[in-house]
Amino acid sequence: MSMTAAPPNRYGRLMTSLLRVTLRLDTFINKIYPTDFNPLYYTGGLSNLFLFVLVLSGIFLFFYYEASLGVAFESVRYISQDVPYGGIIRGVHRYAADGFIVGILLHLFRNWFTDRYLFSRDNPWISGMFLLLFGGFIGFTGYQLVWDERAQLLTSMFIAMLRSIPAVGEPLARVFLGGEGIGEGTLVRILFLHIVPASTLYVMLWWHYLRLRHPKIWPPGVWVLFVLGIVFLLAGVIPAISGQPATPSARPTSFPLDVFFMLPFWLLNWLSPGVVVFLSVVLFAAGLAVPYFSRRETVADMGVRHAGVAQVIDGNCTGCELCYFDCPYNAIIMVPSPGPGLSKAAANRTLLAVVLESRCVECGICIGACPFEALELPKFMERDVQAHITNAVQPTQA
Amino acid sequence: MHALYGMGIVVLSGLGLLFAAGIIIGEATDQWFLGGALIGALLITYSFIILLLRKMGMIGPRKAER
Repeated sequence: MSMTAAPPNRYGRLMTSLLRVTLRLDTFINKIYPTDFNPLYYTGGLSNLFLFVLVLSGIFLFFYYEASLGVAFESVRYISQDVPYGGIIRGVHRYAADGFIVGILLHLFRNWFTDRYLFSRDNPWISGMFLLLFGGFIGFTGYQLVWDERAQLLTSMFIAMLRSIPAVGEPLARVFLGGEGIGEGTLVRILFLHIVPASTLYVMLWWHYLRLRHPKIWPPGVWVLFVLGIVFLLAGVIPAISGQPATPSARPTSFPLDVFFMLPFWLLNWLSPGVVVFLSVVLFAAGLAVPYFSRRETVADMGVRHAGVAQVIDGNCTGCELCYFDCPYNAIIMVPSPGPGLSKAAANRTLLAVVLESRCVECGICIGACPFEALELPKFMERDVQAHITNAVQPTQA
Repeated sequence: MHALYGMGIVVLSGLGLLFAAGIIIGEATDQWFLGGALIGALLITYSFIILLLRKMGMIGPRKAER
């Protein structure tokens, strides 16, 4: 097994630079905040907090919103101006949506730059990409629900994009609109496409956390207060407002751009709908492929991989569960012991550790966790490690 | 440094009191946007108070991070 890695390519050097920048930023923020308050350690938790705020404020808005072409705009106006604190809740919903996307993007870049997306971490990466996609789509449908001129123009542009998709575009557009054109059923469908994917986000979060042993799903209290504070403050100081009401005769040609949700529509200034759809699909597919095509080193470069799936030495296992608690990949489960172990310490065990091969990444953490020498990496045993170290520290022969 | 943090907490507490009074005024006069903004300002103030308390060592760190 070779211990020398190939020199990093241009991508590898770029990622190493970004890793250094990320770690320097960590160090800088740790000088301002105590490490357990560092927000960069809780980008995922912060996104989750924004999502929670979105759900609660969304439920409030749902009570007053009416999904009908003639009434939707007026119902949003009623919420904003006549319902006590309705305008604040609308603003909180709007700014929390932006915060949700910002949080996800920070989380994505941080995990990308620190290599926390490789090997068995592809699962949270892929689910995270879907969370980002769905989050963006939900935000877009949210802007449509207001049914002002911007919503009308967005709907027209989205329909043009749908219709540009070969074969399925036209039927998709009909399903989205509830007919050949914008009609009384359209807003009900858009509301459905706002709420159902939003609920689905929690299923995706379950998928996101599935293989993580200790996910930080919630930020510290200080950041909960700060985030709630900032969305309330923004909602009060810069209220979320509607444009002119949408009318069949209106022909709006421009609208205020929200960079987090409307970038594809901005591209329509220069590109045809078909090209924008194509680019969006390519970008998403590239995002999904990142864990598999953007490794700085190949498995062969790393040398230490292919250690073999961890194996439990039955006779030594005491059922103490230390490996079970330490494995970050949920790759070890405890089962009732079929009989006593061979060693003295294992004689009275009631549980036995079992390695789930499909989840094991051969990292060796369980071996460090086990004080009873009851686990091993079959192709990377202790004596081999010692031999490597001995060889490495040998003085070079002149 | 502790004295400075302590001073910061006193100032922030005073600000918090002002914001709380503003919330009441906003509610009494039906200025909901003012009230909502001040709720936000109050929460942000609380978050900074907690940060300063933490820096003074009077709260935390959490058990798992000691």
